[in-house]
Amino acid sequence: MIGWKGRLSLTGWILGAITLVFLAYQWLPIFTLGLLSFSGPTGGTTFPMNGTSLHWYEELWRATVMNDFKPPLVRSSLLALACSATTIVLSVMAAQAMRGQFRGNGWFFYLMLLGIMAPGILVGFGFAIMMRLMGVELSWDTTTFLVQVSWTLPFGFLTMLAVFNRFDKKVEEAALTLGASRLTAFRRITLPLVLPGVIGAGLFGFSLSYDEYARSMFTTGPDATLPLAVMAQLDRQLTPEIYAVGTTTTFFSLIAVLFFTLAFWAMRRSTSLRRSSSA
Amino acid sequence: MSTIRIRSPASYWLAVPAAAWMLGVVVVPIVLLVWVSFWGGRAFSTASPLTFDNYARFFANQTYLKLALSTIVHTATLMAVTGVLGYCIAYFLVMKVRSPGWRLALFLAFVVPFWTSTLIRAIAWVPFLGVNGVINQTLMFVGATQSPIEAFLYSRTGITMAQVSLYTMLAAGPVVYMLNAIAPQLREAAMTLKATPFTVFRRIVFPLTLPGVVIGQVLVFLNVMSDFATVATIGGNKHALLSNLVLLFYEGSQIRAASVVAVLLMICMLVGVVIALRVVDIRRLGAER
Repeated sequence: MIGWKGRLSLTGWILGAITLVFLAYQWLPIFTLGLLSFSGPTGGTTFPMNGTSLHWYEELWRATVMNDFKPPLVRSSLLALACSATTIVLSVMAAQAMRGQFRGNGWFFYLMLLGIMAPGILVGFGFAIMMRLMGVELSWDTTTFLVQVSWTLPFGFLTMLAVFNRFDKKVEEAALTLGASRLTAFRRITLPLVLPGVIGAGLFGFSLSYDEYARSMFTTGPDATLPLAVMAQLDRQLTPEIYAVGTTTTFFSLIAVLFFTLAFWAMRRSTSLRRSSSA
Repeated sequence: MSTIRIRSPASYWLAVPAAAWMLGVVVVPIVLLVWVSFWGGRAFSTASPLTFDNYARFFANQTYLKLALSTIVHTATLMAVTGVLGYCIAYFLVMKVRSPGWRLALFLAFVVPFWTSTLIRAIAWVPFLGVNGVINQTLMFVGATQSPIEAFLYSRTGITMAQVSLYTMLAAGPVVYMLNAIAPQLREAAMTLKATPFTVFRRIVFPLTLPGVVIGQVLVFLNVMSDFATVATIGGNKHALLSNLVLLFYEGSQIRAASVVAVLLMICMLVGVVIALRVVDIRRLGAER
């Protein structure tokens, strides 16, 4: 019989082992995908790699009409940027509105929550039917944009809500007491202070839109976004080229996350510096 | 006093764009789906007569009913696996890792894949699961089997394996949040009163994290129920869940049948969420902090 302290550290070890095994389980496929994308020209879709080369990336670059991933990549990036910007503006407005406790704000909150809860397949399908009834042509830069914002906006909204919850109202009050108009106070005081949250909302907008598949599938016209192009290629044939695309987009996603994280840190540092120098 | 006056017209107008967007793109289309699922006739028009025939046809087909049942069983399996796994990981990260640096590193290693494409991560499982895949190669190398096992790619097992790696984060995230919110004094007080560690967990820690567990389960439930992409990638054409049926009917231009399945899917989800909301109050969760 071991004492409870021993048992406590034993549970620690077991839980730690579970965590590490899971992390390996989660990351191994991603690393394998990256590794296999560098396999030789005769390499198949699994090991052995038959040498290492950039063959599949060259194929990707040279690709013509059918499996050309460059236009979808451009479309997805533009769409993600547009969604990010829209999410930022609308979620800051909506969160500021929640602070005003307008009539029906409880319903408004549930409406936003519904956007997260409602599965993409239902929203995309329903929206496609609605567009068909209205006689609107489906296209990546109109219908897909509308649908994707309904997915990214609630995440941005919840982020902003959390940020405003922790926000110190006294600085705003000070500005207003000193005679600033509400608009000036918001622009000069509130907005700079919640900027890290705004960046978080922007990251949600970009990343969720960039990776969205279900909603886009029903609402994108003939010009596919990147996830749609990948899935279409997967249906045609499985070659290491898919792995090369996957590795590239994963790399892009990670760069985006890194960029937003760095911006977040920079903002936080500058606001905290300003605060400490003024204190 | 703040930059927005309580109950001012401005606060109302600021919320209008977001509300209109969500109503127009989420609520109206879903209501439309319900309507379309009752359409009779063959033409795609709003003048279609309303009937229950579409539903009758679905429930008369044994294959579809079996599919619905297996969807529920599959989802329940995933909820159980990701729930237990997620709780273990969350507990370890928050309670057992002492050094803040390590905690951040492990946490990032855990969360970063969430920011990459789910579709690509599902595809990343393909080279693992095939007959000549990494898993079979490893098993044969170790000597566990003589010939490759065909149980992984294009099978329920393979789909489950991939989805566990995709969705455990969703189950663990809310638990991490709730564990972080527990005041250490609570546990110390219980320890001082000579409660064993297990009792502390059972009577104090677990009840306090229960809302996180439930929300995590809801997220996994909703995502697995509607995840047709992973099923299509790994299951090939051999396996389908209810959500794949929506797609199948849609591609076959059977809009009514697709709507019926979509509505049934929606009802399953609503029931799940309502049960969860009876256990925890999501609104109160945000307000307390």
